[in-house]
Amino acid sequence: MSMNSGGRPGARKYRVWDPLVRITHWGVALGVLLNAALTDPEGTLHEQVGYVVLGLVVLRLLWCIVGPRMARFAAFPPSPAAALAHVRDMLGGDRAVHLSHNPLGALMAYNLWLTLLVLSITGIMMGTVAFFGVEWVEEVHEAAYGWLMVSVALHVGGVLFDQWRTGVPLVRAMIDGRKAVARDRPVK
Amino acid sequence: MNATAGKLLRPGGPDERRAAVLAWMVVIQALCALFFIGDVVFDLYAGDGQAPGHLWLEGFVALVLVFGLGVLIVELRQLLARMERVTASLMAARGEMAEVIEAFFSDWGLTPAERDVALMILKGFDNESIAGIRGRAVGTIRAQSAAIYGKAGVDGRTQLLSLFMEELLAEPE
Repeated sequence: MSMNSGGRPGARKYRVWDPLVRITHWGVALGVLLNAALTDPEGTLHEQVGYVVLGLVVLRLLWCIVGPRMARFAAFPPSPAAALAHVRDMLGGDRAVHLSHNPLGALMAYNLWLTLLVLSITGIMMGTVAFFGVEWVEEVHEAAYGWLMVSVALHVGGVLFDQWRTGVPLVRAMIDGRKAVARDRPVK
Repeated sequence: MNATAGKLLRPGGPDERRAAVLAWMVVIQALCALFFIGDVVFDLYAGDGQAPGHLWLEGFVALVLVFGLGVLIVELRQLLARMERVTASLMAARGEMAEVIEAFFSDWGLTPAERDVALMILKGFDNESIAGIRGRAVGTIRAQSAAIYGKAGVDGRTQLLSLFMEELLAEPE
């Protein structure tokens, strides 16, 4: 008996990303884009955007503790073992779809948050009297920036790959908060 | 077939809009709190001889901001939890409704074709649309619905529907 619950034929919709998750995600994305490509690294706008990004990341991390089930650390614990198992499952043709981050995506989320924290903290340090002009701080800031660019590329690539593999429009899920999962795929 | 399904939880419903407004408030107020507290800390370090009363006032305002942020976060959290509960019970109700319908159909001894037609009647399709969807003549569908009404012991579409409504609205024994 087919009780279709709306959306594309043959797809079940799951509400996965709450509005706070989506706003902080796109806010951070916008901030990174601004500071990587548009603002003058020596200017105050660069600093202010950096503070906003730091605030958004801290808020998102707080939400990982007090937020709803899907947004919490518990829904996507950082586990290299789980990530390896996920890779094996993919190679073995497993068709299941993860409702929160898949284990590989979870590692990427932690990586992005850590990198952004390192970038913000070294960025703030460069503006203080005590660390102004200290070389290693600038080097860490530069290195973190390079790593962030690599990570963003991997993140976008990973999203597109998973979208292709599972048929779940992930970018859309980060916009309207819902994952549309084909009926014949089990969810985890 | 989706015209009637999922109205309660469609995107852009009142709960969803409220959650979005709350989330924006949380984000903006968090940034304001960050800015304001940063300013207070900066003043504290700069220590350029401001009256102590001024600092107390700023500290108080910062506290209120953070408290308000906490209240908003709790509010958003509760709203999202409620939305999750409604979704869960609606899913459960749908599952059980499907079982109830299945039980009635088996009880009446409907053929597979009659089951499909009966389900579409319940979903509110008229004979012409059912004929279109199933690729049969309208006459065939008319005959099948007559058979369904006969087996169910009702004299038409409305009575068939009311059988299920009655089951849903009956007082628990």
